[in-house]
Amino acid sequence: MNPAALDKLQDWSKAGHRTVQADTLMMLAAEHPEVVALSADLTPTARLVEFKDTYPDRFFDVGIAEQNLIDFSAGLALEGLRPFAVGLAAMVPMRPAEQVRAALGYMNANVTVIGIEAGVRFGPLGNTHYAMDDIAVVRAIPNFTVIAPSDPLSTHKALYACIEHEGPVYLRLTGGPGYPVMYSEDFDFQIGKSIEYRPGSDVAFISSGSLLADAVGAADILEDKGISTRVVDMHTIKPLDTEMLDKVFAENKLVVTVEEHSPMGGLGGAVAEYKAGVVGAPKQVFASLGDKFQKLGDHKFLMKENGLTAPDLATLAETNL
Amino acid sequence: MANTETVDLINEKAALMRRHVVEMGFGAGGRGAHFGPALSSIEIVASLFFGIMNHDPENPTMADRDRFVQSKGHACLALYSALGEAGYITKEQMATFKGDGSFLAGHPTRNPQYGIEVSSGTLGNGFAVACGMAKAAKIKGEDHKVFSLVGDGECNEGVIWEAAMNAVKYGLDNLVAIIDRNFVQLAGTTKDIMDVDIEALWRAAGWDVLVLEDGNDAASLLDALAEMKDSSNGKPHVIIANTTKGKGISFMEGSLNWHARPMNQEQYDAAIADLENAKTI
Ligand SMILES: Cc1ncc(C[n+]2csc(CCOP(=O)(O)OP(=O)(O)O)c2C)c(N)n1
Repeated sequence: MNPAALDKLQDWSKAGHRTVQADTLMMLAAEHPEVVALSADLTPTARLVEFKDTYPDRFFDVGIAEQNLIDFSAGLALEGLRPFAVGLAAMVPMRPAEQVRAALGYMNANVTVIGIEAGVRFGPLGNTHYAMDDIAVVRAIPNFTVIAPSDPLSTHKALYACIEHEGPVYLRLTGGPGYPVMYSEDFDFQIGKSIEYRPGSDVAFISSGSLLADAVGAADILEDKGISTRVVDMHTIKPLDTEMLDKVFAENKLVVTVEEHSPMGGLGGAVAEYKAGVVGAPKQVFASLGDKFQKLGDHKFLMKENGLTAPDLATLAETNL
Repeated sequence: MANTETVDLINEKAALMRRHVVEMGFGAGGRGAHFGPALSSIEIVASLFFGIMNHDPENPTMADRDRFVQSKGHACLALYSALGEAGYITKEQMATFKGDGSFLAGHPTRNPQYGIEVSSGTLGNGFAVACGMAKAAKIKGEDHKVFSLVGDGECNEGVIWEAAMNAVKYGLDNLVAIIDRNFVQLAGTTKDIMDVDIEALWRAAGWDVLVLEDGNDAASLLDALAEMKDSSNGKPHVIIANTTKGKGISFMEGSLNWHARPMNQEQYDAAIADLENAKTI
């Protein structure tokens, strides 16, 4: 990480993930001459204006052309550059899913695809702007790493991990303005190594993305009722931290996966796939977006609609325990 | 030549639609709206709904209606304001724009009963779907036309050109695309983002191309649309209409700042004042 990040946490929390990733790309670019950033006519939305102005030769706007964004990035990566391709999660990686597979996955290209405003963060813009299926698509592509960090510092550290990582990464970002600070001090962030955010023996919330704060809120509610609740920050969805899962399956009575994604193919799906082979593993319930196109509404409304607020999560756990 | 009565009607409707755009967008509060993209398209959409298209709000799904497919879906307020003026949706429904549970999202969601033919919002798709609808009309031997509103930035998308070639292959002369060439896209001007001669590209793809110097001028739009609607020369038609992003609101015109954002009270007052002034001129 960059130590300056610690001084920025409050600002980052206020501004949300777009600013965290943009500021971090600025830091990475200063330290690594091979870093380049790309956007598809979304420079201000992705908060990349400063990057573009500071590094005009290392910033590329390919136009509104997401397929080209991915293939062009792959070409840069194959020749040794480290591209970070930023777009709306609903459109990048979804429109160029095949390019993501053939140009990034198949060739194991060192491209980090950053999907901003994932899940249903774009509330009033409607379903074309929701990314509810992006994890499922990218996770199924060999060689890909999928990371959904939970807070500003973990987003920052995830990007620093990406630059050290060989192979394509999909970084899926959710926390908007008011992005809760879950980590206020430096901590060990490793791709594929989840974090036991708090211990507990009855319920285990396994969470990805910015819903970690809500899972912790739900754990508070349950603890008040005498239900011991573990919370795991499963920031990497692929590769999955099966060591942590083994521990959870051995020690907890109920697993609740928590994510802003379809119940199919995301974190919940990944955990269930692994759990299928673990004899005697506990029951799992899925806290997720429903398998449906959503009603229109702001993010808060949609979280409530889909049972993803802290009280909803607590109730879901309690009734299934 | 379009008669003055129709031209006056379009101008009158356009003024009312601009007012709706401002009211609905302001009404969305902090959720904001794509003001600039809707305002550049107003005369195009008004000319279609109130001058050119065969449609009936009383019978929104009648088989022989002309289809309007808004491919630049983010400019949904241009469509919603026309639907309001035409009587497809009520004032009360318009006021729910972007609200929790509303059917009027920030991008159109297919709802033919209210005049919304195609869901759009991810750029490029609407236009390609419109090509399919035009082919379907030919297969079924139906005479209605398909109109599709496309952004100039949207023409960066690969699927636009995949569909453009396909439309020529199938001789879709019942299809009229209108490019709202406001010379601005999201992150900058079209010159800065992707400086291409779209006119040459459409011609090269084999389309029947017409360029309008003033795409916010009702009379020339009506003439161009009528000509293309009636032409069955075996080629799909495209009108490249030069417009002004944010047209009609002085502080939005040509601005890079009014692609999408919330509007505050002061800006609302200034916008309404501009619209009131325009009436007296
Ligand atoms: C596939 C896709 N990529 C990106 C976006 C984000 N986006 C929305 S509007 C816009 C710019 C559109 O420019 P243009 O077509 O010129 O329309 P204008 O707003 O100028 O009317 C972009 C990039 C999108 N909606 N869909």
